[in-house]
Amino acid sequence: MTRRISNFKRFVMMNPIIQFFKFIFLSIKVLLIVAGGHGGTRETGY
Amino acid sequence: MSKIVILGAGISGHVAASHLRRKLDKIHEVVVVSPNSNYQWIPSNIWVGVGRMKSKDILFPLAPLYKKKGIGFKQAKVTSFFPEGDSETEKPFVMAEYVSEEKRGETEKITYDYLINATGPKLNFEATEGLNPGTNKAYSVCTYTHADHAWQGLSALIEEMKRGKEARIVIGTGHAKATCQGAAFEYILNVEQELRRQKVRDKAKITWISNEYQLGDFGMDGMLLSYGSNIMKSHEMVEMVFEDRGIEWILGSGVNKIEDGIAHYENLDGEHKNIEFDFAMLIPSFSGHGFKAFDKSNQDITEKLFKGFMLVDSDYTPKPYEEWTVQDWPETYQNPNYKNIFAPGIAFAPPHSISKPRKSPNGTEIFPAPPRTGMPSGITAKLVADNIIDSIKQQKESLDHKGSMGNMGAACIASAGFGMTKGSGISITTFPIVPDYKKYPDTMGRKLGKTFGEIGLAGHWLKLALHYAFIYKAKMRPFWYLIPE
Ligand SMILES: Cc1cc2nc3c(=O)[nH]c(=O)nc-3n(C[C@H](O)[C@H](O)[C@H](O)COP(=O)(O)OP(=O)(O)OC[C@H]3O[C@@H](n4cnc5c(N)ncnc54)[C@H](O)[C@@H]3O)c2cc1C
Repeated sequence: MTRRISNFKRFVMMNPIIQFFKFIFLSIKVLLIVAGGHGGTRETGY
Repeated sequence: MSKIVILGAGISGHVAASHLRRKLDKIHEVVVVSPNSNYQWIPSNIWVGVGRMKSKDILFPLAPLYKKKGIGFKQAKVTSFFPEGDSETEKPFVMAEYVSEEKRGETEKITYDYLINATGPKLNFEATEGLNPGTNKAYSVCTYTHADHAWQGLSALIEEMKRGKEARIVIGTGHAKATCQGAAFEYILNVEQELRRQKVRDKAKITWISNEYQLGDFGMDGMLLSYGSNIMKSHEMVEMVFEDRGIEWILGSGVNKIEDGIAHYENLDGEHKNIEFDFAMLIPSFSGHGFKAFDKSNQDITEKLFKGFMLVDSDYTPKPYEEWTVQDWPETYQNPNYKNIFAPGIAFAPPHSISKPRKSPNGTEIFPAPPRTGMPSGITAKLVADNIIDSIKQQKESLDHKGSMGNMGAACIASAGFGMTKGSGISITTFPIVPDYKKYPDTMGRKLGKTFGEIGLAGHWLKLALHYAFIYKAKMRPFWYLIPE
């Protein structure tokens, strides 16, 4: 069965104060994934 | 002195040109050849298509910037490749035809020492009968002009809905093997929100149509992601969002013909069906540009450079889905036959799809082609530029910089509605882009901590922040290079 978004979850999703901290957290997490590096896959143990 | 010619001034061409120019001495020439006079930040076309941004907000003219930075610019489109030169010209060159007003129709041989083919995809509308942006009530948001047309079409429909019209809106993929589901996904959520904002949501039935087997496939075989304290599959997340927004979905469907307000499609059960609409936005299939290549004696050697898109260091051996590995994916984007030619971004020929191939009982292949989003396009362009810079500086081939999509993360910040307090975004990160089922066998080929989803207002702010940051970076403003690709 398809999951539903609860009223509480919706409140969290749209609350500007909570979302401000989420924004900081997301920005850092995205940056870490992007800046976390990349490389080849053909050497062993990449 | 070396001359580096870059074909295309999209995300990958522009990233390559700007890094080359910054890091190379001015005795080396950097030349961009592209038919478009403007740089456009394509991801924000979504907002142009719902009237929340103007196309002028997402573009700027290239010529003044390139002049200021010492990058040569030819507003022309390349037509053929001569990687060995010809009987008259010793050096390799490309043949280009000018499209600028002053020189329209003139052709030029543009010689090079290194060539970066960053021509992205051809938007192959012809592959779907009747799919032509702005006709038959079907639109596209793939370029800013398309997005402008889409908004004209949508706003006219909204006016009719305000007068009481009940409407059907269909958004998704316009071909059995189209890609870029992410862009259509963003657009459907933005349209839904715009209808609510305009107080006509109750007048519209909104339907997602796509060649994906499951929602949330995104051409990446879907993903298992962490969402708050839960772990869920991407299809569960997208179903949850569509259910919440009252959006219906039709999956495993290859649209093959558009008539005025009707999309014909075949599904994975082999049924031929159709759906009527008052407004549709359907992403076309992407193909190579159909370039030709010739050797020194003018013999056709197109197959040494192209397989639709450009051949690079992928393993193109045909093999069944079960035998695909991340090692098939390219690492340096170098053409195996002509080592001074590279193809980052969408311009390279992928070894195979990422999503599992599927056929209808009639033999029609219906599954997404592999996407290459903005982030990998930028990263692959930068690593190509870095390898060329090293090769020039060391005066011997250097390929130390590598970046396989099987060992690279991507962030997809999908807008789910515009507005500083009412907006929303669905932020999904994936690592790696191409699933590595050997390394991460229990988590659908991906690393869980780095593959996560978030829904909420913060996603909209992040997407907006990225819009401004990437336009700043593209304009090569002070310290632009500190902003990662
Ligand atoms: C509506 C939409 C929304 C998107 N949203 C996102 C997003 O939110 N996040 C994300 O990461 N990605 C997104 N993408 C994908 C992203 O835009 C692409 O990954 C990216 O543009 C690919 O860059 P590219 O340089 O390879 O190709 P392109 O950006 O397509 O650039 C190709 C360039 O080549 C030029 N060219 C074409 N033919 C020739 C020729 N014959 N000779 C010379 N030059 C030529 C073109 O004019 C253009 O300048 C979106 C795509 C679309 C369509």
